[in-house]
Amino acid sequence: MDRKYLEEVKKLLGRDHYKIVGTDVQRVDGLEKVTGQAKYTADFLIENALTVRPVWSRHPHALIRKIDKAPALRVAGVECVITGADIPGENQCGYYTDDQPFIASDKVRHVGDIVALVVARDAEAAWAGADAVIVEYEELPGVFEPKAALAGTFNIHDEKSPGGVKIRKGDVEQAFRECDLIVERTYIAGSQDHAYLEPEAAIGIPEGRQGMTVISTNQNPFRTRNTVARVLGRPQSEVRIITPYLGGGFGGKDTYGPIISTMAAVAAEHTGRAAMIVFTRYESFAYRYKRCPFEIRYKSGATKDGKLKAIEVEYTCDCGGYSAHVLGLMKRAAYHATGVYEVPNCKVTGVAVYTNNVPVAAFNGFGNPQMGFAIESQIDLLAEGLNIDPVEFRLNNALVPGSHTGTGQLLDHSVGIKELIEKVAQRADWKSKRRKTEETRKGAKKRGVGMGCSWHGCGTTGLKHDWAGASVILQRDGSVNYCTGIVEIGQGTITSHAMMVAETLGIPYAWVKVDANDTSRMPDSGETHAQRGTFIGGTAAVDAALKLRERLNALAATMLGCERAEVVIEEGLVHRRNDASRKLPFKDLVTGMYERGMNPAEYGFIKAKRDYPDPETGQGVPYAAYTFGCTVAEVEVDVETGQVEVLKLYPGIAAGKIIQPDIVRGQVNGCGVLGLGYGLMETVVREEGRMVNDSFGDYMIPTILDKPEMEPYVMVEDEYKYSGFGAKGVGEIALISTPLAIANAVFAATGTRYYSLPLSPEQVYLGLRKG
Amino acid sequence: MMLVKFKLNGRIVEEQVAPNRTLLDFLRDGLKLTSVKKGCDEGKCGACTVLLNGEPVCSCLMLAVQVRNAEVTTIEGLSGPGELSLIQKAFLEKNGYQCGFCTPGMLLATKALLDHNPDPSTEDIKQALEGNLCRCTGYEQIIESVSTAAAMMKTSAGE
Amino acid sequence: MTAELRPLPAFEYVAPASLAEALALMQQHGTAAQLLAGGTDLLPRMRMRKSAPRIVVDLNRIDGLSFIELRGNNLHIGAGTRLAALHQSRIVAEKAQALAAALRVMASPAIRNRGTIGGNLCNGSKCADTPPPLLVLDASLRLQGADGERMLPLSEFFTRREKPAPGCAKTAIRSDEILTEVIIPCRQGSSTYLKLGRRKGSSIAIASVAALAAITGGKFEEVRIAVSAVASAPVRGRKVEAALRGMPANEETIASASALIKEEIEPISDVRGSAAYRREMASVLVRRALTRIAIGER
Repeated sequence: MDRKYLEEVKKLLGRDHYKIVGTDVQRVDGLEKVTGQAKYTADFLIENALTVRPVWSRHPHALIRKIDKAPALRVAGVECVITGADIPGENQCGYYTDDQPFIASDKVRHVGDIVALVVARDAEAAWAGADAVIVEYEELPGVFEPKAALAGTFNIHDEKSPGGVKIRKGDVEQAFRECDLIVERTYIAGSQDHAYLEPEAAIGIPEGRQGMTVISTNQNPFRTRNTVARVLGRPQSEVRIITPYLGGGFGGKDTYGPIISTMAAVAAEHTGRAAMIVFTRYESFAYRYKRCPFEIRYKSGATKDGKLKAIEVEYTCDCGGYSAHVLGLMKRAAYHATGVYEVPNCKVTGVAVYTNNVPVAAFNGFGNPQMGFAIESQIDLLAEGLNIDPVEFRLNNALVPGSHTGTGQLLDHSVGIKELIEKVAQRADWKSKRRKTEETRKGAKKRGVGMGCSWHGCGTTGLKHDWAGASVILQRDGSVNYCTGIVEIGQGTITSHAMMVAETLGIPYAWVKVDANDTSRMPDSGETHAQRGTFIGGTAAVDAALKLRERLNALAATMLGCERAEVVIEEGLVHRRNDASRKLPFKDLVTGMYERGMNPAEYGFIKAKRDYPDPETGQGVPYAAYTFGCTVAEVEVDVETGQVEVLKLYPGIAAGKIIQPDIVRGQVNGCGVLGLGYGLMETVVREEGRMVNDSFGDYMIPTILDKPEMEPYVMVEDEYKYSGFGAKGVGEIALISTPLAIANAVFAATGTRYYSLPLSPEQVYLGLRKG
Repeated sequence: MMLVKFKLNGRIVEEQVAPNRTLLDFLRDGLKLTSVKKGCDEGKCGACTVLLNGEPVCSCLMLAVQVRNAEVTTIEGLSGPGELSLIQKAFLEKNGYQCGFCTPGMLLATKALLDHNPDPSTEDIKQALEGNLCRCTGYEQIIESVSTAAAMMKTSAGE
Repeated sequence: MTAELRPLPAFEYVAPASLAEALALMQQHGTAAQLLAGGTDLLPRMRMRKSAPRIVVDLNRIDGLSFIELRGNNLHIGAGTRLAALHQSRIVAEKAQALAAALRVMASPAIRNRGTIGGNLCNGSKCADTPPPLLVLDASLRLQGADGERMLPLSEFFTRREKPAPGCAKTAIRSDEILTEVIIPCRQGSSTYLKLGRRKGSSIAIASVAALAAITGGKFEEVRIAVSAVASAPVRGRKVEAALRGMPANEETIASASALIKEEIEPISDVRGSAAYRREMASVLVRRALTRIAIGER
């Protein structure tokens, strides 16, 4: 990702403004979705597909002594029972490290570990079969708290921790000695269920000698493909993943996608027939992986002029029975642990700990909401202690072009946070609302405003390289087939890709058809997560379209008899600049390519511009670019009951060029409400490793009645030079800042600080009475 | 098995169905109408919403045999083939959808609301859609879509 | 913790055309039969295998179970009346204000379109929303069985346990009986219902309170309080009532009487809230409900 795509496209187009990018076009998937025609995994009704049902471990920690398949095989309609011993390839599906058997064979390490798969002719037989499998367990002591896990000997794995992360920059000891105020607190940010509306599902379809096709709910077709291939013992070329529309993902289908896909694939491989698995909502709640709980000890210091000098952060991540996604999110949290501020001295130590809880998944924010809760609460505490307005304090320390991050990365451009804070504060009428605080703190219902800032590096956190592909094929009738490895989860990424391709080629947006996501058509394009769909995936689209556009311009120059720089292709017509007399239809230009043997198709392939930070110091370039966010929340607290109502949210993002503003508005609004859920009402309650609030009746997500008033988002277009059209990612940033703003607003309203999320009515009530 | 005869999107349907089959499973697996979505199968998310004699119900909480002689409407019943109803146009215009999974239920709940109340306030809209969970949009553009649909319907009625 | 959701079990299904037919079936099958009204509680319970009837008796074909009629000074509501119909009814809004208030914060439109008032009562949930309003409205029930019919005050319908315990309350309905009617005497007084949830959208209550009061000459002529979700069954707050009858209706009397509710309930700690918090909130809600009536809001 070394090319200055932003500049190059502008040069090629011969103009600074865009015809399509930055406008509100209709989404490519719109018609299908409003007519009910859009197909999700469970909608593919494959004739005679078998039904797969897992046998789940109900124990959080136990040895498997014996599995008796016989009673299940006697159930009419049961085709087979697959255990760890029946895995054709490698029984391994660990996400970052090989610590997770796909089917547990020696022991189970969490409630919801898979012990066997029952494959039957229909649901009734499959359920009966799963009930009939007899598993003999020898229960082991379970541990459900990281501290207890570190202190005791539970032997969940050979090591107590799958890994840790360190940031060491400057000299924190010395820096703290120079501080006028030091604040040190412990913060707890809990788990959260993705609660997407579409439960997990997968269908495995054997294709004879061609291999295995899987249709599934996943956010990472290529990782899914590789996992399936590994477990089946097939080369990657023989496994094909088709990813239809997803009914929400938020990271959950990133972590779990390979697992559910492999369930279907193994069943199909074993039986030689199509096999389908669909989770019940109960299974999705009780067994599927969720947001990682963090406990953070955060110490930060500033001098009395309001300058941050040092942070010292220690945190544990409860990763549950397998490491799954913990290493990535733990590292991301470390790399972002300073917040959006320049902090010259940093000592950050994170450690992931195995327990017998359900493992953790990626979830929108990926460690940043959790760490952000500590960061932004500390900022407000420091500001309060030094008698400086919280917005002033933030502006005084905000990253600017030329700043260095906590990992020592130089941010030389595309750092819009300071302008963003100013604009959001202005839009929220911060100054006058803060002045009124004394007034609004009286009475049974208290009001207050608080700010939360966020940042989120775009691109997969450094445990593997970060690349993406895209393909563009020009048809002779002028229409275009576009394919990407990025998944459409609802976020609208494929629309932004189509827009960027159309803009780059010079054709109407409607001429670009986005083909289905199919791993056999695309080089590995990485995962759809980490705000990389448009940032890296879209840049691959531009990479492909740019290469074609260069060839098109060269041919047009020949056909029109002019210089390449004079060629204009706009809205599907080709002509010489300042000469509208002779316009060539785009399809004639494409036909010309074919006739001259010029390649009318192109793959784009981009690798993100970043490295792996040093394991001892954490210094390096973990992400190519950062999106920034800022939200002000206005809340009203009913002090008699502890209920917090968010009256209004004022969000803002600095995400480079905004490709489709109304789609991004949807992202910001949606993320805001997800963040509100995390801040106020969502928590995973567990007893001995079992989820207690395991249904929509008791796992509270915001309904339409819980939606606060939303101010249209502030947009700071701090373009990034090396991405297509200067865009950065937007998919997570607005979730992160929301609960942080709410927590600070509650403090402003009540004078009581809370150190644990969510701020449930009961927690707020108790805190008011203690303080 | 029992015979159930009812009207589905204006067409008579007559099928044999087991008593313990839910209306949801019957529509999806029996009649291949996969536009009706299964989100939770216990009436708490609204994704399976269909209209029963014009009123929204959770199809996961009804037995297929219970719709005998009734009229059931799914999203396919909102407009003729190849056409779009004003509600659908409004949702397209205002981006009242993202992943689209809650959308069929949302559109049907909207239709029931606007049939009863052609000029709903924001509060009316929120009350009517309370049982339809959405995880992606934050509801803002859904509310705008419904208001826009109401406005479009008023305009076309006036024409 | 719920139980896992499974496909519905197999069962025989009958949809009788008359009440007599339905009663005969209930007498014949006893506890092997389950009545199906709205289905909003029964189907999920069957999926969780908390209920596994051999025969499901569908009441929806029977005429005459759904009505809202003012007869003289009594409001008669058929047990099969949909919650949505009650929610939209002007008679209910006028004559049974607390019930109207409860319907506004209960379930969702789609659930209300199927759920019935009879089903909500017979389900026996200690968190249910219609019992507290009906208790303060002094409702009575008509139960029909093999031997004829009987009238039962609602206050005797729910069985309260000695010690706090999770799970549904038992009700006084017999296995051969069908609840057919709820009768509300329309007496003086205004009533209301307040519910503390975990979000603005409806959810199972942390605590909820219905209150009815008739205030004449600034004094409480009549007071009735009922609570849900804070005891093993929905119950009346009789100590609060006794403390206020005949007393002036002011901030002090309301506040001190409201606190007495804490002695009359036995909340449990569960995923929705701790016992201590629920006890306090019951008191807050009682105070707020009475204050609202006293100020003259509805």
